[in-house]
Amino acid sequence: MRKIKLIIKREYLTRVRKKTFIISTLLFPLLYLVLIFGMGYIAKESALHLKVAVIDSSGYFSAEKISQLNLEDKSSTLTLVTTSEQKLETSYKESGFDGYIVIPAVDWRTGAGNLVFKSGKSYGNTYTEIVKNKLNRIWDKVKNDSLQIDSDKQRILADSHLSLVSKNINDERSDAKTAEGIGYACGLLIYLILLIYGSQVMMGVMEEKTNRIAEVIISSVKPFQMMLGKILGIGLVALTQFFLWIAFMLIVYNIGVASGAGGIANQMVGSMQNMFTNVNMPLILFCFGFYFLAGFFFYASLYGAIGSAVNEDMREAQSLSFPITMLVIISVALMTAAIGNPTGPIAVWASIIPFSSPIVMMARIPFGVPGTVPWWQLGLSMALLILGFIFTVWFAGKIYRTGILMYGKKPSWKEMLRWAFRKN
Amino acid sequence: MNILELKGLKKYFATQKAVDDISLSVERGQIFGLLGPNGAGKTTLIRMITGIFYPDEGQIIFDGKKFDPVNDVEHIGYMPEERGLYKKMKIGEQTMYLAQLKGLSRNDAMTRIKQWFVRFEMESWWNKKVEDLSKGMSQKLQFVTTVLHEPKLIILDEPFSGLDPVNSNLIKDEIFKLAKNGATVIFSTHRMEQVEEICDHIALVNKGAKILDGTVKQVKQDYKENLFSIGAEQLPSMNGTAPFEVVGTKRDEHIVRIKEGSKPNDVLQYLLGHDVPVISFHEILPSLNDIFIKLVEGTPAARQFQKIDA
Repeated sequence: MRKIKLIIKREYLTRVRKKTFIISTLLFPLLYLVLIFGMGYIAKESALHLKVAVIDSSGYFSAEKISQLNLEDKSSTLTLVTTSEQKLETSYKESGFDGYIVIPAVDWRTGAGNLVFKSGKSYGNTYTEIVKNKLNRIWDKVKNDSLQIDSDKQRILADSHLSLVSKNINDERSDAKTAEGIGYACGLLIYLILLIYGSQVMMGVMEEKTNRIAEVIISSVKPFQMMLGKILGIGLVALTQFFLWIAFMLIVYNIGVASGAGGIANQMVGSMQNMFTNVNMPLILFCFGFYFLAGFFFYASLYGAIGSAVNEDMREAQSLSFPITMLVIISVALMTAAIGNPTGPIAVWASIIPFSSPIVMMARIPFGVPGTVPWWQLGLSMALLILGFIFTVWFAGKIYRTGILMYGKKPSWKEMLRWAFRKN
Repeated sequence: MNILELKGLKKYFATQKAVDDISLSVERGQIFGLLGPNGAGKTTLIRMITGIFYPDEGQIIFDGKKFDPVNDVEHIGYMPEERGLYKKMKIGEQTMYLAQLKGLSRNDAMTRIKQWFVRFEMESWWNKKVEDLSKGMSQKLQFVTTVLHEPKLIILDEPFSGLDPVNSNLIKDEIFKLAKNGATVIFSTHRMEQVEEICDHIALVNKGAKILDGTVKQVKQDYKENLFSIGAEQLPSMNGTAPFEVVGTKRDEHIVRIKEGSKPNDVLQYLLGHDVPVISFHEILPSLNDIFIKLVEGTPAARQFQKIDA
């Protein structure tokens, strides 16, 4: 035990003291904020203001209506023109338009099917949508006027709806939207941690092997202790980083509450308040801790085994670790499916089978326990994951013991399996 | 008493009988030379003694008891041929870490590290990293980390490779000092001149088996070819009655081989009887190098892979 502690301490301290750790811990939340604010800013700044010429053969689009609408809705400018389409096709650019629309002679009762926005450039859906909505506002007005619907009736037509959200009657607190958000966040965080810190374990083992210090160390400790110490040490580094991020989030939250800041910060604060009231936060945090650690052990030991088996060549390590990385990525795909239908068979099984359970179960839990995830599923999933990581740690230990002193050719998965199941 | 006894050790790998039934005993305080060509099985043998490998068969008795790798490794110091230290770790911290892994407490480790660093003039290295050291410097550091915990058994695999003569001598003196203080040193090398100089006892391993075992003196006696050197201006012309035959002549030194059944004194008597002024007369013992080459000769330079049915 004393020796494992020493190894954990070394692995932990050498990593936490590194500049890259400090920088990445600070930078990640900053980048995250920059991303959120920056995206909003860029979207706002780069919005395209389309100038559209309209040829109207239906007679509904009067210059008066259009100019009034242009005043109300400034996201694009429509201009009624009276030239022929052939003329406009050659001259719309000189006249300062981005494109033109020809409205055929249609009746207000049937509508106009697909109109075409013709232009020398391609525009995305976002922009045609803006123009479409604008045209529809006129069209609505035309219909309303023709049907003699006054503004009171209009309001009734627009506002009176039936809407539907799903509610799990077994779980009073669950709120599908918040749950979805938390589910995604938890699943993706675990995914990131597994990949980033899993490969750190692999690199760490490779470093020891190529530095040839492995033989010195295993003349003092058992290879298994050496591997376990590394995995635990790096796991602690991941936890530390994670707690720092949570602390950072709480600070932002408190500042947000205190200052009553507007805009996105306010939204964040609001959604966090939502989170705390709508979901069982202590349970989620506990499960997150569990699946984070157990999933980390599960994958990190496999990555460690691969690190021990290869030489200094990064490509060898990548090709050998590809199947493991694939498992993690498949888990994320399953997670997306599970969030779409959190009680469906894919969600249930993927959250019970050990390789995908850390990510998928974590995405399901926010939907509610025991409403969406019955206790037996949670228990079975945890038990299987514990068995799973005990198995992978044992398996990896066997490979590690042989691999760490083996230099030369990269072994195949088949050979590594032989190492694992060879007696002693 | 023997600090280490190996009884019928075997370790087979998929394609090689790396160690095939080796028995050895190493006395306490001895400097024991473990010799053998590349791929003879020395490293595998050492890895079993250091608890890195379990033997397939056979027994290891360490310090009078059955070898228990978990606890006994604290009494063993091992410097592998392929040296290794953490490149990015500070030297002081690293030495401390390795010492603590060998079971030393922080305080003990600190005093000993300081002593050794002073003795080897390494005090200024404490906050440097290993990647800043030259090969010879890191070799010295590696030696210190190997012996810091005052092991009963020190195993050094090619300890002098990469060292200049000054540092070689420094380490050699330390090895003698450690042996004098009761530590046992197993010394694995191909450099025969060092073995003759340092070792009391040697064992030669080839193709996974022990082919020679004994004190340096004994081995030389066993492999002598009854060669003598006679310093004389000229030997008398030979006839069949001479108890020796001349093998070679270099100016006024003649190498002769004594015929079977004759003794050195017979040679002298013969020479005196022929009135030859003898300036010198001494036995030529084979060097370990010669013995090594003779015994290992005929072995292919690279060990072949073989099929194991076991």
